[in-house]
Amino acid sequence: MRTSSFSARKTLRAINFVCSSLDAQSVSLVGDFNKWNPAAHPMKRMTDGAWLLTVELNHGHHRYAFLVDSHLTLDPQAHGITRNDKGERVSLMPVS
Amino acid sequence: MKKTSAGTQREAPTRKSSTPEDAKIHPVVIYPFRQPNDYSDLGELYQLVARLDAEKEKYARPITVMDRKTHYAMEGNKGFVDFRKNTVARHSDILDAWCVDTCQMWYSGLGMAFEKGGPDDVYWLIPGDFNYGTAVGKTVLGHLHDLPEIILELQQDVCIGEIATDHNNSKQLIDTYGTFALLYNWFPAEAQEIRQYTERPRSEFFAVRHSFLKEVLRHRWYAYEQTMVILLQAVFSNKRISRFFVGNISDVEGRESLTSAMQQVERTERVLKSLWRERNQPKAGWTEQYRALESQSEQVRRTALIILQNLLG
Repeated sequence: MRTSSFSARKTLRAINFVCSSLDAQSVSLVGDFNKWNPAAHPMKRMTDGAWLLTVELNHGHHRYAFLVDSHLTLDPQAHGITRNDKGERVSLMPVS
Repeated sequence: MKKTSAGTQREAPTRKSSTPEDAKIHPVVIYPFRQPNDYSDLGELYQLVARLDAEKEKYARPITVMDRKTHYAMEGNKGFVDFRKNTVARHSDILDAWCVDTCQMWYSGLGMAFEKGGPDDVYWLIPGDFNYGTAVGKTVLGHLHDLPEIILELQQDVCIGEIATDHNNSKQLIDTYGTFALLYNWFPAEAQEIRQYTERPRSEFFAVRHSFLKEVLRHRWYAYEQTMVILLQAVFSNKRISRFFVGNISDVEGRESLTSAMQQVERTERVLKSLWRERNQPKAGWTEQYRALESQSEQVRRTALIILQNLLG
């Protein structure tokens, strides 16, 4: 079977995710790329109080969200909105 | 060059042997009704169309829908004739159609593409009357391909392209005080769902999956505000909706006149009334509820017109 021209290609790009939940105790990044596993990508608090994580992602469109103190939270800076397989509203990140 | 009459109805002979791996994207360009004197915006757009036409594994042959009135108004103009022949017809199949409005151009173009498509294909509407020749316009052109790709990669049914406008932009004012206010009156639950995705429920940028386009085409096709109707149908039938930001861009018509804004609000109200009746007529006692909603709707429309008059008049 040939590879679909629309599937994520194996070109990795480093993407910065920033969450500005200044009062949060913990924030992690969840998405299709880590099977929505809350433990896979914990974010790091920066000196300005925002949370940052750099993740290498393949070319394509990725669904993701922030888990802010265990609450699924949309990224206000995201390029788009869609739903995950559970029907929850999540953010959309294009990687080209 | 293919010529068909608009609105012809027949069973679609779709491609049968499609699999997700060989799904195709069908670009449908809506040629501007009023031919601009300057071809820079259209020239930029058709550079994109040429690239799509060259990627035959991924894209079906693009379709350009051109209103016959545009053609006849310009047929003596050498610049137009040359552009049509050397650029538009070279990179796309032209669908010449007599259309009463832009929505009929959409219907004709999407319908023609649908008849050529397969069950896994995606249809991508590209409006022609935007300022693609500007710096921001070129950026937007670079993002538009995301709309059909999101549908294919993430198994979505419809993806709406959202453009950024300031709060005083006339289209935004119409949507804020007219479209959404009327939607909240006639379809309050669905309106809330739609607004979770987009502030532009009348966006002309969208892509739609074959199976959902089939449903939409076979539903009664209302005369106006098709994106809003498509979004409502998507919410009614629990379809997978996505929204993607394509950038800052404005159409070449520029700021709406008050008259045009009023017409758009009135058209939206007419469509919502018709759609509400169609969905609720089978229910007992619908006429009383309809009269109550109609009375509220009139108040909403009048309020919207007062606000638009204050801001655009």
